[in-house]
Amino acid sequence: MTGAGRPLLCLCALLALPAAHGADEEIDHLIPPGYQPEEAADEKGLWMEFEEMERSLNESALLVREPELVNYVNGIVCKVAAEYCDDFRVYLVRNPGFNASMTATGMMQVWTGLLVRATSTDEIAAVVGHEIAHYTRLHSLQGFRNLKSKMAAATWFDIGFAVLTGVAAPVGQATAILGYLAFNREQETEADILGARLLAEAGYDPHAAYRVWYEILAEEEAAAVKSRQPGLFSQTHPNSAERAEYLKNFVIERYGPPYADGSADPALLEILNHHYYLLMEDQIDTNRFGRTEEILRRHAALGVEPGILYFFNGEMYRQRGAEGDSDLALDAYLKSAEQAVVPPETYKNLGYLYLKKKDRASALASFRQYLDAAPDATDRAMIEFYLEGDQ
Amino acid sequence: MKSRCLALLATLLFLGACVAPYTLVAPGLVPVGGLQVQAGSGWNDAPAHQRQYARSGSVAWTHDGLLLDRLVIIPGVPSGEPLLLARDKTAAMPVFKADMLPNEIEELVESSIVKFFGEGQAVVNTANLRPQRFGADAGIMFDLSATVTESPEYRGMVGAFIADDRLYVLYFLGAVPYYYDKHIGAAEAVIKSASL
Repeated sequence: MTGAGRPLLCLCALLALPAAHGADEEIDHLIPPGYQPEEAADEKGLWMEFEEMERSLNESALLVREPELVNYVNGIVCKVAAEYCDDFRVYLVRNPGFNASMTATGMMQVWTGLLVRATSTDEIAAVVGHEIAHYTRLHSLQGFRNLKSKMAAATWFDIGFAVLTGVAAPVGQATAILGYLAFNREQETEADILGARLLAEAGYDPHAAYRVWYEILAEEEAAAVKSRQPGLFSQTHPNSAERAEYLKNFVIERYGPPYADGSADPALLEILNHHYYLLMEDQIDTNRFGRTEEILRRHAALGVEPGILYFFNGEMYRQRGAEGDSDLALDAYLKSAEQAVVPPETYKNLGYLYLKKKDRASALASFRQYLDAAPDATDRAMIEFYLEGDQ
Repeated sequence: MKSRCLALLATLLFLGACVAPYTLVAPGLVPVGGLQVQAGSGWNDAPAHQRQYARSGSVAWTHDGLLLDRLVIIPGVPSGEPLLLARDKTAAMPVFKADMLPNEIEELVESSIVKFFGEGQAVVNTANLRPQRFGADAGIMFDLSATVTESPEYRGMVGAFIADDRLYVLYFLGAVPYYYDKHIGAAEAVIKSASL
């Protein structure tokens, strides 16, 4: 997005706001619970494609199968879905990105990156509500039919274009795809509004519907490497700022001003504390330290176990390796080591940091603490190499 | 009809000549950049167009095809540069720094392989970090595993050392269970033979 494009976008967002709100009266579920596809060949065909995709997903080694995590996410989906609960199969997928998705068949994917970014269960429910709205509004089918009909007309256009110009270029088909993407943008707005309503009806804080988008904006602001610039596919989704604004206006007008202050969320906190390594190690591997720092800041505010949180702060500073980060990492590891729960790796990485600082005595002491805390460590030979080198 | 067949054959021969083939790696001492490795028989050197995101000077060898097994040798990465080329400008590739310690080289390789498969498309884990000599240079070895979307699962082994502020990395990835088991012995022999 160029700088010159921003004012125009803001103006569009302001103009779109009353339309989105006004249209809310008509935005409701289009199918009943337990919906099955019509006999129409295209819908059946679409379902078969998605069912094949689901069989493949079911076998994926990237699926998270930890019962506590799966039950937590399933519980949120069922609460938001209410009478539609039995229509959905929820798959928690290891992926550090922020995303969830839904097919026409009710196969929902939730990425672990959503769990690490949310500051409350309400925010996870907000994203889930949005996906459920896509399902009950038959958006996949509508998009598929829209694309199919436009592609048919576009193919005739391309034949005519080729006859007239002698150039066989899929100009019409490209335009049809653009049309499909533009239509999807309307669906996204519908799903935002209906999703916010589902959120409130399920007893979650409806203000989470826009807070989640402000969190995304904050992360983008903190990122050293920004997301890709909006291009052709930016037409599929309203941007985060636009979404945050129209959702905020809708929610405040309909449900009143915020009443929750983002206070502790014991359910999410327990999930994070019990599965922090699984959830955060993929984020660390992204090498995106600005984003990781922002996520760690949120987890500190949530009250995640400090020994683990300080350790991950140490990891982030140490791996980022910018000016002064070595001292920040050392400080974080030392604080981790003072807590009731200390990851053994705190001692190991303290040892390596001391080695870098040429403090060999402290390094070896830390390495010994590491092996005491983790006698079965798989890198024991490496650590013993340093310890034995001292003899 | 005959002339059409000849034209088709000529076209196929022309196109074939445009695509560099795999070449058999001669068993024995093989130079790769400033590095030397002892190659066993049966390794095939993949042509450049088959090696996505590879640094100039690196090689990828395979027995049964790169998707099933690959031994990648990356010689002499200077400080401040990545092990692999970035897919795009937003890839946030990790870079080598000359003062890295064993744990940091392990993390560098792990994160680089995540980026190779595509962020969010793979979970990569490492284990069994251990010391290893590469000729006159002290280095490390460790094992890794990669779970990848819509791809076989891989296990692998990595050897690495720093000399004159440059990083030398050799890693093997084999699809489990069959191809890893089949070639890990040959790959380990090559990795451990590396020296300047």
